[in-house]
Amino acid sequence: MTTLQKSLAISILCLMLAGQPGTLTAQEAPQETSQEIITLLKEQNRNLSQNLRRIQREIAALRADLDKPTIKDVFAGIGYIVGLFGFAAFAASRTRSR
Amino acid sequence: MHISDGVLPLSVSIGSYAASALLVSWSTRHIRSENLPRMAVVTSAFFIASLVHVPFGPTSVHLLMPGLAGALLGPAAFISIGLGLLLQSLLFQFGGLTALGANTLIMGLPAMACGYFFQRFKGRTQLRQSIVGGAAGALGTMLAAIILAILLVTGGEDFFGVAKIAVAAHVPVIIIEGLISAFTIGFIARVKPALLQPSFYKKTKSIHD
Repeated sequence: MTTLQKSLAISILCLMLAGQPGTLTAQEAPQETSQEIITLLKEQNRNLSQNLRRIQREIAALRADLDKPTIKDVFAGIGYIVGLFGFAAFAASRTRSR
Repeated sequence: MHISDGVLPLSVSIGSYAASALLVSWSTRHIRSENLPRMAVVTSAFFIASLVHVPFGPTSVHLLMPGLAGALLGPAAFISIGLGLLLQSLLFQFGGLTALGANTLIMGLPAMACGYFFQRFKGRTQLRQSIVGGAAGALGTMLAAIILAILLVTGGEDFFGVAKIAVAAHVPVIIIEGLISAFTIGFIARVKPALLQPSFYKKTKSIHD
């Protein structure tokens, strides 16, 4: 390697180093990307909260459905009533036959 | 037309419990053993009636049928309604257990009044029985709304305001109740008139004899 080549390489290096202040102008690029990221995050947040609201609505609807009496409750109640009156009839027949 | 837990002050709920217990025990004295199946059927119907939603305009209303129960059972309707409401509050979470006494009064007193009204004015023809039955059904719902207002007043509300709201909210129920009672009584009068005979002629011949 000749001294000419060496000095050329060093001068290129120096030029590159001198070009460092150029990165100051490039500082605006990360700002732009952070803005984009913020907008992306905001959008994502909005989507998520929308989904969350939907799920909350569904939970509320499910809870309302749970409060509704089911067919089981209906037949349980009728069974209770018929059973109680059957017992009353039984007791009445016993007291009468005595 | 149900009062929920914690709406009424404690003294009123205890008082209404005592009043309903008294009326239930009075009501049991009017049961005759041959009427037990009829009572079972009417109690079951009353228990289910609140699940039958009748579409009315944009909303739907559900039947209450104190009038019908009263017309069919007379004084025995009170115990039948008490049992129906107890099971409704246990199984359907309608109303609360602490308000059960008040709810029984709300439905039971109109039922007995309607029973008296129906037996007094029913006449002999099917048409008249059907019309009087319908009137009894409407009257029962209206009386229930008024008793509801009276009980709510004890919680510190203004009577006429509450009564107006309660009756206004139940106008569709009153109309539908009257129509359905008229139809049901007319049907029973045609198919099985014996069901409309008062079940409480001889007080002495109760099941406790």
